[in-house]
Amino acid sequence: MKAINLTVNGEAHKVFCPENITLLTLLREYLHLTGAKVGCAAGECGACTVIYNGKPVNSCMVLAMEAEGAVVETIEGEAKDGKVSPLQQAFIDNHALQCGFCTPGMIMSARALLDENPKPSRDDIIHAMEGNLCRCTGYEPIITAIEQAAGGVR
Amino acid sequence: MYTFLSPKTLEDARGFLKSYPNLKIIAGGTDLIIGLREGLFAPDAVMDIKQIPELAQIKQTDEGLEIGAAVTVSELLCSGHLSGAYNALKEAGLELANSLLRNRATLAGNICNASPGGDMLSASLVLDAWVETVTPEGGRKISLSDFFTGPKKHVLKPDEMVIKTVYPKHQGKSAYRKKKRIRGHDLAQVGVSGLLKGDGVLTLAFGACGPTPVLIGGFNTKTQSRAEILDAAMNGISPIGDVRASKEHRQEMARYLTEAVLDALEEVRK
Repeated sequence: MKAINLTVNGEAHKVFCPENITLLTLLREYLHLTGAKVGCAAGECGACTVIYNGKPVNSCMVLAMEAEGAVVETIEGEAKDGKVSPLQQAFIDNHALQCGFCTPGMIMSARALLDENPKPSRDDIIHAMEGNLCRCTGYEPIITAIEQAAGGVR
Repeated sequence: MYTFLSPKTLEDARGFLKSYPNLKIIAGGTDLIIGLREGLFAPDAVMDIKQIPELAQIKQTDEGLEIGAAVTVSELLCSGHLSGAYNALKEAGLELANSLLRNRATLAGNICNASPGGDMLSASLVLDAWVETVTPEGGRKISLSDFFTGPKKHVLKPDEMVIKTVYPKHQGKSAYRKKKRIRGHDLAQVGVSGLLKGDGVLTLAFGACGPTPVLIGGFNTKTQSRAEILDAAMNGISPIGDVRASKEHRQEMARYLTEAVLDALEEVRK
C-alpha cells in the first residue's frame, strides 16, 4: 500500500492503495466514483474516459501511482448544484444514449473537446470521439448532441 | 506485486536499472498495463519515466529532431515539428490508435514495444532514426535498422533504457499509408512508409509484412520505373496470415499502399 495524492472534481484526496491498481479502480473502488465504467479495460472502448490533467484519457490505461499530483475530472463533476449541464441536457434532448453504459465516457471526451475548442466542426467532433464506442445509438445522435451543446452556453 | 518507482532524475533511473534486474519501464503504459493485467510479465518493479524532465523534451539540434522517451504521440503531433520530410511520422501518429490513447502512448514506447505493425516504426525506419539509450554504466546509439530482432523483440539489454529517438534532417518528402479493418481505431493490417530525397533516392519500409518492420532502400526514381520499384519491394517482404488479414490480402495491400505512397510522393513516374 502506498499513499497517492490527487484532485478529483476539485476535491483533494489522499488515497492509500496497492501499487498495481489502475486509476479506474482507484476512482471506482476507493473513491466510490462509479461513473467511469469498466468496459474492455484495455484502452479499446472509452467507457472509462476521464479528463486527466486537461486531456481525455482511458483511466484503465493509467496506473493509480502515476496519478500523483494529477487533476482528474469525472462524470460526477459534470452536473452542478443538482442540475445537469447543457452538454448532458443535449444528450437527453437528442436521445444520444440508450443503455447509457458508454455515456459517462462520451460526455467526458466531449467535455474535453469543448473545453479546448468551444466551436468544433462536425469533423472535429468525430475525430475527438473516435476512442469512444457505442453499441446502441449509431453515433449520429451523439454527434448532434455535441453540436447542439457547442451552440449553447455551459 | 511490484514496487512502483518514479525517479526524478536520469541518475536515479540508472540506479534503479541496476538495483532491480527484473524491472519494466512505463512511459505511456498503453501496452505495458495490458501486459501486466494479462500476466505476460511479472516485474519486481515498474519505473515511471515521466517525472524526468529531459525525457519530456522535443528539440531541434544539429543532429536533427530529438524526441524524449516520455513524449506522447499527441504532444509530438501538436509540437509543430513534423513538417517537411518528417511528414510520414505525422501521418503515422494520426493513424496510431485513437485520440484517447494518443494522449498517453509515447513514440519511444511504440518503438520499444516492437510490434511488427507498430505505426511509428516504418515511418521511423525510412527517416533513418536512431535511439539513444542509457544503462547503469553507460549508453549507446542504436540505429532502428539494427534495433528490431523479431515480433516484440529488440536488441535492448535488460538494464538498458531508451531516453530519446533522433531523426536526422532530410531534404525531401515522406508519407505513410495504412490499411486497417475498420475506419476507426485498429492496428495495421499493412502499413507502408516512403522517403523520397531530392536526388531521386527512394526508401520504403513496411509494417506487418514480416517478423519485424522491413526496411528496403536504395531505389532510384530517376533510373527505375514504378513497376520495377514495386516488384523489387514486394520481393523484399514476407507477410503472414493472422487474425487481421490473410497473407494474400497483405501482399495485395502492400502493393496497393506502396502505390499510394508513391502517388503521395508525386515525383515517382508511372
